[in-house]
Amino acid sequence: MCTMYCPRPVVDAYNERLEITRAPHIDYAQAIPSSYYIDAKACLRVNFETCNLCAQTCTAGAIDFSQKPKNLELEVGAVVLTPGFGRVDSSVLEKFGYGKYPDVLTAFEFERLTCASGPTEGHIVRPSDNRPPRKIAFLQCIGSRDETCGNGYCSSVCCMYAIKEASVAKEHEPDLDVSIFFMDVRTQGKGFDDARKRAQEKYGINVIRARVPRVDQVDGRLALTWTTDDGKHHSGIFDMVVLSVGLESPEDAEALSKIADIKLNNYNFCSTRVDSPLSTSRDGVFVAGAFQGPKDIPESVTQASGVAAIASELLAEARNSQTVSITYPEENKALEEQEPRIGIFVCHCGVNIAGVVDVKAVRDYAASLPGVVLYEDPLYSCSQDALKGIAEKIRDNNLNRVVIAACSPRTHEPLFQETLRSVGLNPALVEMANIRDQCAWVHAQEPEAATEKAKDLVRMAAAKARLLTPLEQPTVDVTPGALVLGGGAAGMSAALSIADQGYSVTIVEKSRHLGGNLRRLQWTTDGQDARKVMEDMISSVESHPGIEVLTGSTVEAISGYVGNFTSTVSQGKKNRLINHGVTVIATGAREYKPRSYAYGESTRIVTQLELEEKLARGKSFLKNARNIVMIQCVGSRGDDMSHCSRLCCTQAVKNALKLKELKPDCRIYILYRDMRTYGFHEDAYREAREKGVIFLRYSTDKKPQVIKQARGIKVRAFDRLLGEEIEIPANLVVLSAGIAPGDNQELSKILKAPLTPEGFFLEAHAKLRPVEIAVDGVYLCGLAHGPKSLEESVAQAKAAAAKATIPLAKGKVAVAPIVSHVDQDACIGCGICESLCPFNAIRLSKVGKRKKAQTITASCKGCGICASHCPTIAISMGGFTDQAIMAQIHAFSGRQCDEG
Amino acid sequence: MIKGFCCNYTLSVEPEALRSEGLIPEDVEIERLPCTGRLEVPEILDSFSEGAEAVFVVGCQLDKCHNLSGSRRASKRVGQARKILEELDMDPALVEMFYAGRGETEPVVEAARLMAARVSEQDQPG
Repeated sequence: MCTMYCPRPVVDAYNERLEITRAPHIDYAQAIPSSYYIDAKACLRVNFETCNLCAQTCTAGAIDFSQKPKNLELEVGAVVLTPGFGRVDSSVLEKFGYGKYPDVLTAFEFERLTCASGPTEGHIVRPSDNRPPRKIAFLQCIGSRDETCGNGYCSSVCCMYAIKEASVAKEHEPDLDVSIFFMDVRTQGKGFDDARKRAQEKYGINVIRARVPRVDQVDGRLALTWTTDDGKHHSGIFDMVVLSVGLESPEDAEALSKIADIKLNNYNFCSTRVDSPLSTSRDGVFVAGAFQGPKDIPESVTQASGVAAIASELLAEARNSQTVSITYPEENKALEEQEPRIGIFVCHCGVNIAGVVDVKAVRDYAASLPGVVLYEDPLYSCSQDALKGIAEKIRDNNLNRVVIAACSPRTHEPLFQETLRSVGLNPALVEMANIRDQCAWVHAQEPEAATEKAKDLVRMAAAKARLLTPLEQPTVDVTPGALVLGGGAAGMSAALSIADQGYSVTIVEKSRHLGGNLRRLQWTTDGQDARKVMEDMISSVESHPGIEVLTGSTVEAISGYVGNFTSTVSQGKKNRLINHGVTVIATGAREYKPRSYAYGESTRIVTQLELEEKLARGKSFLKNARNIVMIQCVGSRGDDMSHCSRLCCTQAVKNALKLKELKPDCRIYILYRDMRTYGFHEDAYREAREKGVIFLRYSTDKKPQVIKQARGIKVRAFDRLLGEEIEIPANLVVLSAGIAPGDNQELSKILKAPLTPEGFFLEAHAKLRPVEIAVDGVYLCGLAHGPKSLEESVAQAKAAAAKATIPLAKGKVAVAPIVSHVDQDACIGCGICESLCPFNAIRLSKVGKRKKAQTITASCKGCGICASHCPTIAISMGGFTDQAIMAQIHAFSGRQCDEG
Repeated sequence: MIKGFCCNYTLSVEPEALRSEGLIPEDVEIERLPCTGRLEVPEILDSFSEGAEAVFVVGCQLDKCHNLSGSRRASKRVGQARKILEELDMDPALVEMFYAGRGETEPVVEAARLMAARVSEQDQPG
C-alpha cells in the first residue's frame, strides 16, 4: 500500500538500478526482516515535511515519522566484522565500454535480468532495444588480477558465477551463443569443476582463454578482439557483453579499521594469519566472510559459524547468563479430548489476500463447516495484537482446534503454534491453509475462482483439523562430550574450540602422533614455519584438561543418535566404550600417489610434499639442480580423480619461490592447466613470474611426458607460445599430486554418512550447511570434506565446533513432534524402513521373540519415507495421519468423512 | 566491388567478422595497412582498374595519428586521386577519405555503407 501511494519514484538499487520503485519499498519478497522500509534520502516527508501519504494509507499503522536515530551503547565480549565486499570502481568498467554502451552489463545486473522476480521477469533482453540477444560474451577478471586498477588479487568467485549465469541463460534461451573469456578457469570449489564440465558439454558454452582488451560498439552491436596463446588474432561481434566484476574491499574498510583498531592488508581487506584466519590483529575482534578475502558462499557460511565458535570460546563463562526462558501454562488435556471446537481465522494480510480473495465470503463460508464455533477475519493475523486476540478468543470460546487461513506454514506455522502453547493447547492442534500463495498470488487475475479455491482449502483444513491429535514434544538429554575423529589440523582445531567452550572432547587418531598432513608441511603460504604451527597446536591440545587424546586408535562402531552416541574405540588389542553427545568427522585425506610421469622410478621424481620433506632435511640435494620441472594436476582433474585438489597450484608456487630463495640460479618450469592461485595467492603467482619461474600451459591432449634415461631425466612438453614441443633436461621433477580421499567407506557405513562420487564426505547442504551432514549430531571439517588449504581447514573446524556445541550447550535435544511412529502389533519386522531411512532414525530391535521396527525419535526428521513404504501400514506420521489426510482429500470433493 | 583501406590503428576487428555478421555489405573488401600514410595515388587508381567501383580510406583522426602525419598524407593523396578521376571524367566522389578514433570500428562500417550506397545510387538508371 505504502509503495503504491508514494508519489516519489526512486531507482531500485536492489535490482541494479534497472527498475524504478518508490521511496517506501521492500528489496525483494524474501528480504529479512520481511518488512518495507523508507528510503530516507528520497522521502518527501523526511526531507521536506510534506506528503505523509504512506503513513495515512498504512492499514497496520506501521509508519511512524516521529522516530529519530539513536546512539546505543552495548557492552559486549567480542566483536565480529562481516561487512562483506565492495564494488569495483566504475572507472575500471568504463575501459570496457560500461556506461557508454547500453548493452555492456555487469554480471550483477545480468544476474537480476536472469532472475524470475527481477525487472524483466527472467527474460534476457538488451537494455538498448529490449530485444533478446543472440550472442553474449562474458569477460572475466574485470577489476581482479589487474594491477592497473590496484587489484592484484583474484576474486575467486567470478569464474564460477559466470559459468552459472551462462548456464542459466542457456537454460532460458537454448539457442543463445555464449562465450566466456577466461585467463585461467578457476573453478576450484567442491563440485565446481563438474559444473563447469556440464556447462561446456550440456550447454555448449564456449570457453576462450584470452583477455579482451576493450569493447567497441558497431551499429548497436559489440565488437571484441582477442589474441589466443597460439599467437592468433581473433575478433567477433556480440549482442551483449557481461563484465564479470570482481570483489573489492568494502568501501568503508579504512574507516572501519580505524574504529575497530585492526590491520588491513595491502588490498584493504582484513589482515589475518593462515593459522588463525578469523582473528584480526586485535584481541576480541574477529572477522568472517568476504572482508577476510574474496570467497564463495560455502566458505563465507563456514567462516561465520567458525567465528561464532571463537566468540563462544571467549564467552563460555557467560553462556546462558542472560537468557530468558519462556514458561507455558500446562496443557489442557481435558479440553483437547472434547469434541472438536474449531476456530477459523481468515486473514486479510492487508491487501495481499483481501485484494483478490473475498475474505468475508470465505469467513462466512467457514461458519457452515461442521465443528466450527468461531470464525473471524483479522487484518494481519500474524501481528502482535492479532496474535494476542487469537489467544484470548481461544480461551474465551474454549477452542481446541484452530485453522489459520493465511500464508505459508513454512514461515508462519511456528508463530501460531506458539500462540496455542501460550493458552495451554498442544501446538499440533493448529492447521494452516495457504490462501495467500495458492489463491491470491497465483490466481491474481481471477478473483472469483481464487475465492472458491480459498473456500476449498479452508474446508479441507477444517476436515483435517477435526482429526488432529496432540503430539508429544519429547526432549532427550545430551551427553556433554564430543568425539573428534582425526587428530590433524582440523581435528585439533575443532577439539580445542569445543573444549574451550567447556565440554569434554576425545580425539581418536589412527596414527601414533597428532598432526596429520600438517606434519609433512614445512611452510605455510604466509611464510610461517608449519612445524611450529603444528607443535603449538599439539601442545595446546595435550595440555588442555578437557581433551583426551587416543593415538593409535580407530573407531570400530558408533551407535546411538544425536545427544547419545556410544562408540567403540579399538586401541590395538583392547576396546574402549565412549559415550558422547556429538561426533566430528575430521579424518582428513592423503596425498595422491602418482601412477604416471615415471613416479617411483627415480629419487629425483618426487611429489610436492616429498619435496618439502627433503628441503626440511637440508638443501644439499639441490646442489646440481639447475633445471626443476613441476607438473600440475597429477591425479587431479583427470581419469584417476575427477576433482580439482584446490591447493596444489598455490603449493607449487610457494615451493617454487622457496627453491628460488635457496638456489637463485636454478630454472623452474611449472607445467599447468589452469593456475588456480585464487584469492591473495595470486600475489605469490605474480611474484614467481617476476622472479623468472617459467609457466607453461598444457592441454589434456598434449600432456607433458617424463622420460627417465640412463643419465638424467627428460621432460617433454608442448610450448604453446613457440607452437612446438620442447625438451627440458630436468635435474628434479616435482609432481603436484592432488588430494585423494582417505578410506572413508568404512566410516561412512558406520555413521550412514553419505559420500560424494569422489569419496569425500557429503555435507547436508553445499552452501548453507557446509559442516553438517544428513545425520543429526555428526559434523564435518577439514580434508575429509574435500581438498582445502590449512587456513580453510582451521576455519571449517571452528565452524564444525560451533555447530557441535549447539546440542551440547542446550543440554537437551528437542525432538520435532512430526516423527514416525511404529505400531508394533502391525509390524512384521521386514526391515524395509530401516534400509530406506536416510537419517539412521529407525531400526529393528528384538521385542519378545520377533524383530520389530522402532523409531529413534531424536534422529527422525519426519520425512515419511518409512511410512510410505511400510507394507503393513504399521508406520504413521505425527500430524499427518492417514485418516487426517484422507479426510482432507474427501473434503476436497465436498464429501464429509466423519467415519475417520 | 568496393575497396577500403584502413589503418591498423583504427580497425582492430577482422573485416571477415564484420562481413559475416552482416555489418558491412558483401562486396566491400577491406585491406588493413600498417599506416594509411604509406598508401600512394597509383594504388588507389589501381584498385579501380582491378574492378573496384569505389575506394575509401579510413585513417586516424588528423590530430591523433599514431604516426603523427600518416593520415594527413593519406588525405592529401586521396585529394590527388579525386582530381585525376575528374580529369578522367569519373565522379570524384568515388574516392573518399574518412577518419576514426583509435580502435573504433563504427566509423569504418559507416564509411563502407556510405560508399556502397553511393555506388548503388549511381548504378540506378536515369
